Amino acid sequence: MINFEEELKKFHPSLEVEEAEDAIYNQDLTDMADLLVKMIVGSGQGAAQGLEEEQ
Amino acid sequence: MYCYNCGRRLAKPDFCTSCGADVGLYKKVLHVSNMYYNEGLEKAGVRDLTGAVVSLRQSLKFNKNNLQARNLLGLVYFEMGEVVTALSEWVISKNIQPEKNIADEYIEKVRSNSARLDSVNQTIKKYNHSLSLCKQGSKDLAVIQLKKVLSLNPRFIRAHQLLALLYMDKGDWERAERELRKCMEIDKNNLQTLRYLREVELLLAPEEAEKPPARRKKEEAIRYQSENELIIRPVNVKEPKRSGISTLVNLGIGLIIGVVAACYLAVPAAQSKVRNEDQQVITKISNESDAKTARIQELEDQITGLQGDIEGLRGQIEGFVGTDGTLESIERILETAASYLETGDVFAAESELAAISQSVDMSAMTAGYERLHQAVFNAIRPDLAAAYFERGSNYFRIGEYGEAIVALLPAVEYNPEEVEALYMLGEAYRMNGDEENAVAVYDKVMELFPGTWRANSARQSKGQLTGIW
Repeated sequence: MINFEEELKKFHPSLEVEEAEDAIYNQDLTDMADLLVKMIVGSGQGAAQGLEEEQ
Repeated sequence: MYCYNCGRRLAKPDFCTSCGADVGLYKKVLHVSNMYYNEGLEKAGVRDLTGAVVSLRQSLKFNKNNLQARNLLGLVYFEMGEVVTALSEWVISKNIQPEKNIADEYIEKVRSNSARLDSVNQTIKKYNHSLSLCKQGSKDLAVIQLKKVLSLNPRFIRAHQLLALLYMDKGDWERAERELRKCMEIDKNNLQTLRYLREVELLLAPEEAEKPPARRKKEEAIRYQSENELIIRPVNVKEPKRSGISTLVNLGIGLIIGVVAACYLAVPAAQSKVRNEDQQVITKISNESDAKTARIQELEDQITGLQGDIEGLRGQIEGFVGTDGTLESIERILETAASYLETGDVFAAESELAAISQSVDMSAMTAGYERLHQAVFNAIRPDLAAAYFERGSNYFRIGEYGEAIVALLPAVEYNPEEVEALYMLGEAYRMNGDEENAVAVYDKVMELFPGTWRANSARQSKGQLTGIW
């Protein structure tokens, strides 16, 4: 049996036009590709530092 | 697909042919993003909008620059009635690629129609308001608001779901089902809609709930949309044939029921309305009447006060003005003066002037009147003093000292320079046995006329009375 009060908690206010700008600015756009590139660049820099230290 | 390091287009190998960067994993990530996009596209094609949103969001988590996925996500949101969220996705898309982007067209279409945009905003505000009304417990108001929302934006799934939930809470299962069916037409695989629908179907027809709803619908009725109305036409149901007489009888019964219902429901209501209106009019008139009565009473009081003032003024005027319109008292003064000049009867003139003074309020008279009265009196004053002195002398000579005092007092008053009159007054007091006043008059003679022979006489007379010389 559906509980009205519990179901009502699942509904949230919809985004109004005035709030759209804030929503766009505050959206976290970091994706998997960003994380991967960071990891690759970070590992490349680490390797370069290691080589410099060996020399 | 471009190299993350140098931005060159990537070829088949897992490294960039331009800068040599390892792009194997990067390519796989982008492929996963495309895979999710394809999945989302397929789901959107079969109106599984919720599923499409999930897939497209996944796609964007892998590659935020997947503009096709982002634009499609915006479209899906728009279809679900979430216009602002759709616009947000399209704006981000346009920001990533300002040129040759279909999102630009979508944004322009929404923006170009300002009335539509305003309507969308109003819809969202009303939805949020109805949600807060629900939380406050004003469910009936929330239902009204949601109906308005759906008349403006019939594709707003969340509004349909909330309205269905409210109907379910009220036990209006049929309306709830209708709303949920509308949700299903827009988004076929919305988990919340499916959950509510199952609940509604269980309560509407528990034995038939297990059967697939689409099949049952096909068997029982044909449903189609005509503008905003959902028409449900039953299949295999035939109207029973009726004879003409039974139709007429039914019509008659219906007519009678209608008339009775009108008499018992509509007419009393109309009468009550008319009575209420009449009562309001009566109350209004009564209030106005009370206000006017109070005003009349106030004016009557004013009239009474003014009548009193008029009477007072009339008395004053009558005091001033005679019946022929002349100023009576002035006339009397003038007549007194004329009589005096003609007859020389100074006592008559004096008594007449005294009578005039008593008949009017001298302080209220004009300055001219006072001057006239005083001038006439000043004119007769010397003769009056002389006449009183003569009368007093006569009484003194015949030994009527009391009468002599009465006559000499005004003689002294009207002519204080007459030493004989003053001295004779002292003598009259002495002869009348009033030694105290006699001494006072003698002192006055000595004070006012020092060095005169009457002053010496007064001193001697006083010495005789008091023994002090």
